[in-house]
Amino acid sequence: MTTIVHLLPIDLSAIGHEHLTLALIGYSIVFISLFLLFLVFSMLPKFLTRNLRRKFQKEGGEEKAALAGTMVQGEVSAAIATAISLYLEELHDEETAILTIKKVGKSYSPWNSKIYNVINFNRFQR
Amino acid sequence: MEGIVRFVENSGFANLTPGHLLMILVGLLFIFFAIRYEYKPLLLVPIGFGILIGNIPFVEHAGLHLGIYEEGSVMNYLYMGVLKGIFPPLIFLGIGAMTDFSPLISNPKLMLLGAAAQLGIFLTYIGAISLGFTNPEAASIGIIGGADGPTAIFLSSKLAPHLIGPIAIAAYSYMALLPLIQTPIMRLLTTKKERRIKMKPPRSVSKLEKILFPVVALLLTGFIAPGSLPLLGMLFLGNLLKESMVTQRLADTAKNTMIDIVTIILGLTIGASTQATTFLTQQSLHIFVLGATAFMFSTAGGVLFAKIMNLFLSTENRINPLIGAAGVSAVPDSALVVQMEGLKADPDNHLIMHAMAPNVAGVIGSAVAAGIMMSFLL
Repeated sequence: MTTIVHLLPIDLSAIGHEHLTLALIGYSIVFISLFLLFLVFSMLPKFLTRNLRRKFQKEGGEEKAALAGTMVQGEVSAAIATAISLYLEELHDEETAILTIKKVGKSYSPWNSKIYNVINFNRFQR
Repeated sequence: MEGIVRFVENSGFANLTPGHLLMILVGLLFIFFAIRYEYKPLLLVPIGFGILIGNIPFVEHAGLHLGIYEEGSVMNYLYMGVLKGIFPPLIFLGIGAMTDFSPLISNPKLMLLGAAAQLGIFLTYIGAISLGFTNPEAASIGIIGGADGPTAIFLSSKLAPHLIGPIAIAAYSYMALLPLIQTPIMRLLTTKKERRIKMKPPRSVSKLEKILFPVVALLLTGFIAPGSLPLLGMLFLGNLLKESMVTQRLADTAKNTMIDIVTIILGLTIGASTQATTFLTQQSLHIFVLGATAFMFSTAGGVLFAKIMNLFLSTENRINPLIGAAGVSAVPDSALVVQMEGLKADPDNHLIMHAMAPNVAGVIGSAVAAGIMMSFLL
């Protein structure tokens, strides 16, 4: 501990009121900035669903209007998105399956050639 | 013969000092940790290599124009981007294009954790004053507590350009060592029961909210702390490019090619700026000690504030105090540390999405803090 104190010549008298004020005001301003952002984005969803709430209120009264403020959880959205994606992928798979069973006719292939097969190769060497 | 003598005199071997050797070792250590343990390799490899380049000794001011501090040298031109504060905003543009603010928008109260975790900046500022640093120097050192390399470089380029090297090296080194610094503090300040708290899953966020966020956040923070505009302006522009979905090409360039180019030049020049002749001073040592303290205080500030918030929140809305530690803006490293620590307490408790909220709020918080310091001290 003594070594650290020797390495760091701490002089508390160097700290003046102006330094403490700057630190205090600075920290408070950071808080205020983010607190204002918090306020705005806490109220924003209510503001954005305002028209929907009014519409629901006209259609089904207060009970239905409360639905407008209901937020879907991210994981519910993710589950729905996954289900849709899987469904669409499935459709795609069916489509490719049909394409792959289409018959392709080839008049010639070296694999079924009677001229260049292994037995004939020996004969040619002779 | 005279030519040979001059050649030998100009060689690195003739000008080698123990300081150069020490710094070369530090550079090699950076490269080793980056490659072997993958500690922030994208930053530590260019910085480590820069340290090697900056510490190969040569005869300074002999008309060779080699050193980073010699006017007219290539490295000096590249270093201008650091000294004039050009690179940090460009990095912020890329970060903005990469950042997803939806965890923050879905749970806005977590923004306060991003503010609380800036505690280290202001306490370290006071600490630096007590160590004899001047006001602008102390502010530049304090900003290390924001755990944000570009912000630290930006503020020190404005307030204390002569300290950019040690400040940047301290900031990036401690960011690489984040798990070692944060974990003991998180454990010390929380009980096992608190670490097991499961938070409500975040709600889904609409596209309109995502588009409104950068615009509203810029207007709010910009009017409060105009000094933060170069950083936050670019951060929110990058985010708008991403979220608007109509400027995908620009967003892609900002978050890939551009940020990569700037990172290479920034890392290299910051590394090269640590020439033993200017870097190895007692001041640098003090900066390293203060930097570590700043990280610790910031972590503690976030965790303790989360605990205070829990006193006012209902049981179902309670916050896992570990995520307060992610309020330091090292994105996404501190959120990953929180995730790992959360998993240790409860293997089913995934905190990463929740921790990303204070993490990105911390980026905004530290940039605002830098803006405030600039407004006060410039």
